[in-house]
Amino acid sequence: MTDRARWQGALESELRAVGRELQVPSAGDAVTAVRQRLQGRPVSRRPAWGSGAVHHHRRWLAALAAVTAVLALIIATPQGRAAILRVFRFAGVELGQQPGPVPSPRGHASLPGQRWTSLGRARHEVSFPILVPGVLGAPTQVIVSDRGRVASLIYRRTRYGLVRLDEYAGHIDQLYFKKFANAANMTEVQVNGASALWIKGPHVLVYVTRDGYTASASARLTTGNTLIWSTRRVALRIEGNIGQSAALAIADSAR
Amino acid sequence: MAARGVVRVRVFGRVRSAIDDTEAVTRARGGDLDAYAVLVARYTARAHRAAFVLGAGEEADDVVQEAFVKAFRHLSRFRAGEPFGPWLLRIVTNETRNLTRSRRRRTALALRLARLGAADPAGEAAGGPDIELVAAEQRARLLDAVQALPEAERQALVCRYFLDLSEAETAQVLGWPLGSVKSRTSRGLTRLRALVVPGQQAQVCRD
Repeated sequence: MTDRARWQGALESELRAVGRELQVPSAGDAVTAVRQRLQGRPVSRRPAWGSGAVHHHRRWLAALAAVTAVLALIIATPQGRAAILRVFRFAGVELGQQPGPVPSPRGHASLPGQRWTSLGRARHEVSFPILVPGVLGAPTQVIVSDRGRVASLIYRRTRYGLVRLDEYAGHIDQLYFKKFANAANMTEVQVNGASALWIKGPHVLVYVTRDGYTASASARLTTGNTLIWSTRRVALRIEGNIGQSAALAIADSAR
Repeated sequence: MAARGVVRVRVFGRVRSAIDDTEAVTRARGGDLDAYAVLVARYTARAHRAAFVLGAGEEADDVVQEAFVKAFRHLSRFRAGEPFGPWLLRIVTNETRNLTRSRRRRTALALRLARLGAADPAGEAAGGPDIELVAAEQRARLLDAVQALPEAERQALVCRYFLDLSEAETAQVLGWPLGSVKSRTSRGLTRLRALVVPGQQAQVCRD
């Protein structure tokens, strides 16, 4: 037996022992989640399956390019440069005008550790009350992310199309999202007598983890318009192709 | 009513457990989500372990979901008779790479041993608590050293020894030629040699 064969054999069996002793958490239920995702889109029986995703991906990239172009314009002017320095926080969201992290080119952005669940179970998994807008009714999907830090209600078939509602414990002084939007598109509005923020048009949104890191895999361009508001124990942001009055009506009906 | 339901469930259960991978793939290709669910259930644990140890960390569940969704869409590219496991793990690996690349850091990568210092039944029988503790410490050092290896060597060793894949499977999963698997594995092992050969502790590569 050569010297190499001897030590290599010993090392290989040690490495296999390390492999057996690795601390690996148990896997989540992929069966339900995968089925839901596969049923969520039209299933074509031909390999043409992916073409819709490609199309969507291109549209997304085009929109991102448009935003980047706008940001480049903002940065090019002295007023724009001054505006970049203005960063403010509102209900767990930091709003800035820097381009920030470039969203990963994956068409599918996701919050860390997101799991599909039911509304009932979600209420046990998070530390804040989950509000449901009466005018929208029961959500199509409920997602809990980052070990109960964020709950998302997804409405697929509203009169406004797809609407997404993210909820988190806004009363704690923590950061949950960073947004990079043009200040000209932000307006202060009122929901139930409290300040709320209305942001017109798509902007880059990225999730901020418990320890303050931005989760690049979550970076994406929002759809339509966004309203951010909060109650005493929960902060909410709703996004979709909704007008300001519709968003305010939805917010007012959240119980 | 109830009796019919029971019969249906039993038949369904038998069908579910009886079909093999090839059959499940064929049916899933035809759009049968129940058949695909069999594959998802069968391979979730393996896919999750691979994603986790290759660096997805606590996002391993997301990676697994994404990989299964993509695999379903690309079933037409799956060659009949080919083993499903390595084909799926290739997609899992790519998804994990996308994730770690976009994250640009490997914090979630810090793998740990489940039983450092805890009783190891085999070790206890062989040599008592002291030897056992030394072995556990040595394994923890070895794990740290694997994680400090250059990326390609780390991936090769993780696939070969932590995921127990053959050289050919590793080549398929990582998308490398077989020769690269052999050379990178060999280079990685050489760097770790100091940890098992006494008297060479000082030479351990920790970059």
